[in-house]
Amino acid sequence: MADLRINLAGIQSPNPFWLASAPPTNSGYQVQRAFEAGWGGAVWKTLGEPILNVSSRFAAVSFNGQRVAGFNNIELITDRPLEVNLKEIAETKKKFPNHTIIASLMVEPKQEKWHEIVKKVEAIGVDGLELNFGCPHGMAERGMGSASGQVPELVEKQTYWVKEVAKTPVIVKLTPNITDITVTAEAATRGGADAISMINTINSLAGVDIDTWNTIPHVAGKGAHGGYCGPAVKPIALNMVGECARNPHINVPISGIGGISSWRDTVEFLLMGATGVQVCTAAMHHGFRIVEDMIEGLNNYLDDKGIASVMDIVGKSVPKYSDWGNLDLNYKIVARINNDICINCNKCHIACEDTSHQCIDMLKAANGESILQVREEDCVGCNLCSIVCPVDGAIDMVELPNELPPMTWNERQAALGTMACDADIIKR
Amino acid sequence: MSEYQQYLQERDKIDFFIQKGFTIKSVTETLNGSFVDFVNEQTEEKERVTLHVATAEGRKYFSVMILKQQKGA
Repeated sequence: MADLRINLAGIQSPNPFWLASAPPTNSGYQVQRAFEAGWGGAVWKTLGEPILNVSSRFAAVSFNGQRVAGFNNIELITDRPLEVNLKEIAETKKKFPNHTIIASLMVEPKQEKWHEIVKKVEAIGVDGLELNFGCPHGMAERGMGSASGQVPELVEKQTYWVKEVAKTPVIVKLTPNITDITVTAEAATRGGADAISMINTINSLAGVDIDTWNTIPHVAGKGAHGGYCGPAVKPIALNMVGECARNPHINVPISGIGGISSWRDTVEFLLMGATGVQVCTAAMHHGFRIVEDMIEGLNNYLDDKGIASVMDIVGKSVPKYSDWGNLDLNYKIVARINNDICINCNKCHIACEDTSHQCIDMLKAANGESILQVREEDCVGCNLCSIVCPVDGAIDMVELPNELPPMTWNERQAALGTMACDADIIKR
Repeated sequence: MSEYQQYLQERDKIDFFIQKGFTIKSVTETLNGSFVDFVNEQTEEKERVTLHVATAEGRKYFSVMILKQQKGA
């Protein structure tokens, strides 16, 4: 049995699986149910001045039969008084002293507001704070959430204000609704953040009803943009985690969030630099007990690889993540079709012929059977045929021996730059 | 002619001039590909040749030759 305990900026947790600040962590009842199911921690639904919500709050995007491929919400932060939440946090912590409770906080960008809520929340005993600079809807219209999180100076200043009084580790939760998340991540670290978490939800509109012309969801015929999450956003989140993890100016742990639905997703986030993960949509879709599979799967993965502690895999893929200009232009893979497995649906041929590089030929074998064959010299290794192929094992992407030595775009440009200098000298 | 065949022709020309003692002196990159200027320093008249290299593989190839040339210098 591998050691699944994590230490994120001094915050101890029995496993890396935390519930994200969201509807599943709205109350003590829910968080206690989650801890009983096996979740290692919970980030309590964001505390602040209690808000008013609208009715009709969630919408999901189903894709080709997969329900909740993406999830959209226009719910705001807690609508319950602070003292009610604090009482339930204290009760929950008393019942589950070894589980992690992080208080998510959001107030106006004023020093005294941050000081007040930090002192009140820490007084009842939480393991850490998460500053919500990410919610994109509703609260942002009031200058909070992502409206704060999109301005590096505000991220830095508010983090600094919190750190002036905080006694527990401070995690800054970042918005993805920004061109380069490393800019605000760096601002958070300059402000003294002990850790960062990402991503909050992405600005979204789940859909439009083509019969009524209403937005989905709508509130009495009107809609507003919401926050998008769920499996569809995982690649976006994973990139942002990786970009921050490989940035030398961001030297704080990362709590990974965004479409994590399984132990495999978790491993990917840990490899790409997250010390732990936060989950919401998968729990909303399947219930708290999905964590059982996540724990078991992660444990089996580590045992199979002979890895003693989950902390040992944190960041292991980060050195493999770089800029495009550092990739080897001479590395070559090609598609090979296994005609004994191929069902001759011709999807690969159509995809290649119509939208890629026209290198899959439809031929007749000696016995008259139709076969598909890749002209390897024309194949650029784009992977499209293997992506669209409906049969596992029918198409392999195979590495070819390097005919030319490795050469990156950056190396090429540097070499050509030197040539230009030579040419200038000759001209003179 | 397939792009691969075009690449082979470009590669052969590049190899031909390098074998003849030419070195790549400069490259002009344009919307239509690269124009690679070769000079043969071994000849008295310092013979010059320009090759138009249009294929992506061809442009990789002469770039590798430049790197080799610079490493060997």
